[in-house]
Amino acid sequence: MSFKRFDAEDLVIASEAVSAPVWSTGDPILTTFFTSSTQPSLESGKFYYDVYQTGSTLENATVQFSIAYGDLDGSGSAPYNSSVTGKSPSSTIYGQYRTLVLGDEESTFSFGGVSQEYFYALAVDRNRYRESLLPGSFNLTLKNTGNRTLKLTDNSATVSTISYNDAGRVYQIISGSNGIPHTNINANGYTATSGSYGLFLPDVGVILLNGAALDISGTAEGIALSTTRGTTNAGNPGKLFQVINSGSAFQLNYKETVTSQFVFARIRNSEFNYSTNPSYITGSGDLRISSMLETPQSYITSVGIYNDNNELLAVAKLSRPLLKDFTKEALIRIKLDF
Amino acid sequence: MGYLNNSVVTVDAILTKKGRELLARGDGSFRPTQFALSDDEIDYTLYNTSHPSGSAYYGEAIEAMPLLEAFPDETQIMKYKLTTLPRGTARLPILATKSIVTLKQGQSEAITPQTLNYLGNNQTFETSGYTFTIADARVASAFQGVGINTEEANRLNNTTTLGTNVSKTVIGTSLNITATNVNTLFGTNTQLQTTLTIIGRDSGARVTIPVTITKVN
Repeated sequence: MSFKRFDAEDLVIASEAVSAPVWSTGDPILTTFFTSSTQPSLESGKFYYDVYQTGSTLENATVQFSIAYGDLDGSGSAPYNSSVTGKSPSSTIYGQYRTLVLGDEESTFSFGGVSQEYFYALAVDRNRYRESLLPGSFNLTLKNTGNRTLKLTDNSATVSTISYNDAGRVYQIISGSNGIPHTNINANGYTATSGSYGLFLPDVGVILLNGAALDISGTAEGIALSTTRGTTNAGNPGKLFQVINSGSAFQLNYKETVTSQFVFARIRNSEFNYSTNPSYITGSGDLRISSMLETPQSYITSVGIYNDNNELLAVAKLSRPLLKDFTKEALIRIKLDF
Repeated sequence: MGYLNNSVVTVDAILTKKGRELLARGDGSFRPTQFALSDDEIDYTLYNTSHPSGSAYYGEAIEAMPLLEAFPDETQIMKYKLTTLPRGTARLPILATKSIVTLKQGQSEAITPQTLNYLGNNQTFETSGYTFTIADARVASAFQGVGINTEEANRLNNTTTLGTNVSKTVIGTSLNITATNVNTLFGTNTQLQTTLTIIGRDSGARVTIPVTITKVN
């Protein structure tokens, strides 16, 4: 017989949490940022800018994240129709994230307890974050033309109770590094009056930055981003891109649960000692090697996993042939990832 | 006293094309229930019973072989299965069938293999039947397994492939094959050639035979 049935205990399901840098470079910190020079003139450029790790026209260019600007009043971008005020790409973005995050069309965004009318959204590319962003791994450095630097992190290291909204877990973005707040303005890393610097939403791969906090000038709180809230297309996503590009440091990891099925192939000494390999036998079926009459041997190179219909579902190859004879038993653990 | 080697060989498996298909189907058909072992790539003529260092080194040339990674094509892997037979077995199961299949366009033929040297019988039909795989399904207008009436066998018989050079597998104790009548497949040639692989579903014995279709018109 060529097939051996598994026992119930030979099939085991295991889950393992895996984390790694989000960026396609594999580096923990992304230091170079590029946008497409053509995107601002395209329809998509009215809503968001894609950010690449290298020149967007290069072969290995991959979108890392996108920057969008959302405004309750539709400010910061030209209205769809000049006779209909307040309805523009920025209001569309605001409504999109309001539905996604708040799940209530009557609510407005609140950052650290302070309601705000506009924000910047960093949407990490789905292929980059796989399943979810890893809280505690977010570190973003912003730097303006006046060389003022603002370091942002999430507060997952300091909160004792995780908050949830319609987008799953939610953490406040604070001034600080590696989850530790800078306390020169506020003990919790918030601004003095504009609330936190945003929301970190790991389960949907989104980081919302509080525009009002970034616009603060004259103190060490903000970086004087100068968000424009008029009725023309102000290119606000480009302004945030500039301070991210100047900061040259965006650290972020993802977390993924890999479910594996382990299959144990238990091979007893009396089993699988003969082969149907054409070089093993002569044309009439006689053993080609006479010494194997007394001590039959075979070599295992592959393990095939079958269903009841003898259909080959998966196959595993050994790194080198494994000798098998009547004095040897083997246990092969096969890992199936999904 | 030495330490016993309690290491477990751990290997990563890849899904075959069939495995992916069954997984995507989501009807529970992706359910591992059994395993088989094979020695694909092994050339037993490398087994050197004249090795000057003795019997421990007979398999030296085989055991040093670096193995290729697994192929996802289920028809190209697990070709030569290891079998469990009583110690002292001198002859292994082999399939007895035609050594070549030659058909004219439109001609039909039934192929009924038998297994020799299996379970103490000189000649027998395997209970689970045989799988028949034709490498290029286009050359046969009919390719049906008969004699095994399981759900799987019926499904394989009803699988159709249109216009592409792909293999087709059916299950049965016999195979009914009819050569194609499509002239355009021949181009400027007068013959089409492919292979038919037959595997005993119980014994694992395997044979591949050439198939030639001759143009009539």
